[in-house]
Amino acid sequence: MSKEIKLSVNNLKISFRTDAGKVQAVRDISFDLYRGETLAIVGESGSGKSVTSKAIMGISAVNSIHEGGEILYDGQDLMRIPEEEMHKLRGDKIAMIFQDPLSSLNPIMRIGKQITEAMLLKNKANRKEGRETFNRLLSSLSDMMKAAIIAGAPTSVTVDQVSEYIRTFDNFNIQAIKLENSYNDARTAAEELIAIIEDFLFLTEKKQKVDEIGTIKLVARKLNDIDDKYFAARYADVLKGHMVALEIAKRAEKANPGQTATAETVDILGKVKQTAEEMLAQPRHNFFRIGYYVYKHPETDLSHMPAEQANELAYNFLMDDYMTAFMALEKIAVQYSFNKSIENKKRAITALQQAIDFFNAGNFDASSASAVCASVKASVLAAIDPLAVIKDTVAYTFGDALEREVDKYFFYLKNNPKEEARFARQTAKREALLAKGKTVDWKVVPKSVIEPKVQIAAIVSVITRVKNRYQADVENADSIDLDKRCVEIIDYLKEKASQVVYTLTKRIAKEKAIKLMEEVGIPEPRIRFRQYPFEFSGGMRQRIVIAIALSANPDILICDEPTTALDVTIQAQILELINRLKREHNLSIIFITHDLGVVANMADRIAVMYAGKIVEYGTAEEVFYNPQHPYTWALLSSMPDLDTNEKLDAIPGTPPNMIYPPVGDAFAERNKYAMEIDFEMQPPMYEVSPTHYAATWLLHPNAPKVEIPKIITERIKHMKERGEQYGE
Amino acid sequence: MENNNEVLLKVDHLCQYFRLGRKDLKAVDDVSFEIRRGEAFGLVGESGCGKTTTGRSIIKLYDITSGNVYFKGKRVGAGTRAYKDAIKKARAEAAAKIKTLKAELAADSTRKAEINEKIKKIQDELAVVVAQNRALIRDAKSDHNDVDKQHAEALVAALEKEYEEKARLAQGDPAKLQALEKEFRSKRRVAKKSKLITQIQMIFQDPIASLDPRMTVREIIAEGLVINGITDKDYINEKVYEILEMVGLVREHADRYPHEFSGGQRQRIGIARAIIMQPEMIIADEPVSALDVSIQAQVINLLNDLRERLGLTILFIAHDLSVVKYFSDRIGVMYFGKMVELADSDELFKNPLHPYTKSLLSAIPLPDPVYEKKRTRVIYNPLAEHDYSVNAPTFREVSPGHFVYCNDEEEEKYKLMLK
Repeated sequence: MSKEIKLSVNNLKISFRTDAGKVQAVRDISFDLYRGETLAIVGESGSGKSVTSKAIMGISAVNSIHEGGEILYDGQDLMRIPEEEMHKLRGDKIAMIFQDPLSSLNPIMRIGKQITEAMLLKNKANRKEGRETFNRLLSSLSDMMKAAIIAGAPTSVTVDQVSEYIRTFDNFNIQAIKLENSYNDARTAAEELIAIIEDFLFLTEKKQKVDEIGTIKLVARKLNDIDDKYFAARYADVLKGHMVALEIAKRAEKANPGQTATAETVDILGKVKQTAEEMLAQPRHNFFRIGYYVYKHPETDLSHMPAEQANELAYNFLMDDYMTAFMALEKIAVQYSFNKSIENKKRAITALQQAIDFFNAGNFDASSASAVCASVKASVLAAIDPLAVIKDTVAYTFGDALEREVDKYFFYLKNNPKEEARFARQTAKREALLAKGKTVDWKVVPKSVIEPKVQIAAIVSVITRVKNRYQADVENADSIDLDKRCVEIIDYLKEKASQVVYTLTKRIAKEKAIKLMEEVGIPEPRIRFRQYPFEFSGGMRQRIVIAIALSANPDILICDEPTTALDVTIQAQILELINRLKREHNLSIIFITHDLGVVANMADRIAVMYAGKIVEYGTAEEVFYNPQHPYTWALLSSMPDLDTNEKLDAIPGTPPNMIYPPVGDAFAERNKYAMEIDFEMQPPMYEVSPTHYAATWLLHPNAPKVEIPKIITERIKHMKERGEQYGE
Repeated sequence: MENNNEVLLKVDHLCQYFRLGRKDLKAVDDVSFEIRRGEAFGLVGESGCGKTTTGRSIIKLYDITSGNVYFKGKRVGAGTRAYKDAIKKARAEAAAKIKTLKAELAADSTRKAEINEKIKKIQDELAVVVAQNRALIRDAKSDHNDVDKQHAEALVAALEKEYEEKARLAQGDPAKLQALEKEFRSKRRVAKKSKLITQIQMIFQDPIASLDPRMTVREIIAEGLVINGITDKDYINEKVYEILEMVGLVREHADRYPHEFSGGQRQRIGIARAIIMQPEMIIADEPVSALDVSIQAQVINLLNDLRERLGLTILFIAHDLSVVKYFSDRIGVMYFGKMVELADSDELFKNPLHPYTKSLLSAIPLPDPVYEKKRTRVIYNPLAEHDYSVNAPTFREVSPGHFVYCNDEEEEKYKLMLK
């Protein structure tokens, strides 16, 4: 298995504000998720499993407080990026399956619509985004070219000519988009044609009632729609033949109407379908190149030329006539913009250093702090290279992050005295009551104050991060390949332009949805497509939810107890399905559950959580065959398996109240192996093997040797015997 | 356990249908089993196969459609559909016969007397059958509706007899007589209200939904006693405390409300409410599926303790097979309203015969990664497995104590497999 890290959670802390006080749900957890592996998080309810997964998805409850730590995905910190950025990731890159399938489906919407909804919305959003990005990048390219020429770059091109170049680029792109649009429309029509015919043939095969004349009319209309010269030019005669045949079939049907389709109709529709498939399979023309050719020679027609030849011709023409000059110009602009940005970065670094000194000195008031913030923000934004295709998210989100931290500082500065006073008052009251000999059944809510120094450190860390990033950029300035960047810009523009063109119609979305439904194992998807969620059984509903989650092709799938509401046989089916999809799509899965049996089937690695902390963490074999933490022992011994006959080792008591988290090991109170130190200090993570860690004082070299409970040792022995049997 | 052969509960051809538009939904279809005193009987199957409906039908939460339920030898529940069907069938047969006879008569009018004789005979036979079945229906109805009344009457009669004896002994002592009179009255009140069916109690799946949020724990637990006519507050309190301690809670919990408890504690309250009626049998309907793993073990241990201490008989309904295997002495497997296999729990897991049982057993996940990676699931497809077009299946004993739902051909096959 490759060890590419997809997602990494570092020192995450999350709390909830409630009436009774602050509940610390997740207390300082860290883990990595590799590509193509399943990480299982196991624990009781209330141990913070679901809170973690919701934080990754960015759907934490409104009363949650993010107290620290980060979730890194694709170089960005999910806890800090703005909601607009999160929109692009949620569901698209990171998808989630919830425990109860019925509550994640809309009861009054047909299944099909629910699956296609996201696809259609995403397509629409993509087109809008593509158009905007294209225009913005082209205009900044033009600005940079002009600025470079004014600054005296070695070129003979004048500023007016630059405008001319840019206008040409824009115009021939419009031409290319027009061509591609009409080509795509024709393609779409062909795809829809196939969908219609497949629907018809399916119903005929099932001997169901079909609307023959209606279908023929629809097919004829779609055939008429396929009129693009680049798509259908070489099939014009075949298409004409089909039209005639359809007309004959329609007349025959009108003269002799029947409930089921005639053999002739089925035959001709099959032929039409075949032609459409052939047309879809032919090589594409490169419209970016042809667009320029057609822009310069409006009266010529390349559609009869085979695609490769046309592409070659147009490419040579484009390079000779326009692109070489344009690329040279572009390189000047990129060079200029890059140098300027490096210069600005150097300037920004000094500004950032000043800001660090300013905040480190302390004793600043609100107005001067906001002035410093504004100036630093401006200089950081000015240093962003407008022609960089890959966005520097750290720099983009810097301003907001800094302002948030500064606001927090002043908030605590104002509220800390109040909090201190409350704490003193409550402690005094409690002590007075105790002195009188009364029993007090409440505790003093601990202080939630933040030291100003700690908060200043947080502010400084935000600034340091962007400063470090800029310093690295300045140091690596020589090793950047600007030619590559020029090509990247052109590719990016092309990609955005074609993003505008690609449209997904409802009918194609339906075909895609049906393919997905087949993939997740729903029989007769064409009929199921039109049903409502209540018509499905529990397992089928969960399959639908999985299909919806997969419709956007995510990298990471979070399964939050997906089988708890299902019974054994259905559970086994769903687990097999998730495992298969993981292999086929190379997904990384975070699997949350409290059932260790399920975990053994699914997980590559396991993290055991208790009271907001990870107490043990290792590969599945290590955790099951060599458990180290008493809580893992307790979990393993409290569930009967098929060979258990003796009394179960139940864990006494209940999990601690996380408003008053224990000082020492959270499990100490329920732990029969607890030592005194367990009540006083939290144990660190001890390394058992390079992949296996456990947080228990029992692993300290000075700890007494403790026997693993008999029930577990026996079970492990038994498992090993069984394993050998299977191994043979 | 002292008397292992006494059958406490006998379910005989139980059918429970629900109306579903024009058709009937056969939630439980012809299920028979016996539960012996002191035994834990497990009932497993996928969701919607009728496990819970069986439990509820036994405790008379539904009026059963057909079949009988015997508790301690008395018929506590009876359905009438089978007898009605028998009458219908007999009538139809008779009508068909008469029709053919009448056709013969039309063809040949000379045999009029003979044929009329025959018709008369058929009609008489029909009348006998109808009368028999009507009597059965009457019996079933009266048993189903009046079993509790009869039980109460018997108790009252016994009480009266006992106190007549005592009164005769205490003759001439007015104070003692008065005390006896008072005691007799309160006991008779309880006896009049007592029902046979309350000796079966039920524990429900969802501890949150099954407790009234506006009643204190004391009220919840004591409710059964109050309904049964006990008015002595001190007695009730004492009883509630005793039961609370028995299920692992403390006295102070009595005045709290259900929302103040954790899931495991709520389920303990549910258990306390069931055992305060001193039942002989408990129907535990998925008592641990809504609980966390660590709490599950606590509740299972508690049920096991109580079973030993009070000599309870338990019908344990669950879909988690490892738990059922751990808890039960015998296990019945249900599939779509039918009982497909019934055996001792060890026997069932060692020698599963019915293909559905095999499929169910192969789906159990175990906490063992190496085994899990190699486990292959058997898929059950009833249409491919069985051919019942010629030879209809019944529920039969393949080896002692091991019942399977099969036909002759399959029985032979299963017997071979056991050897």
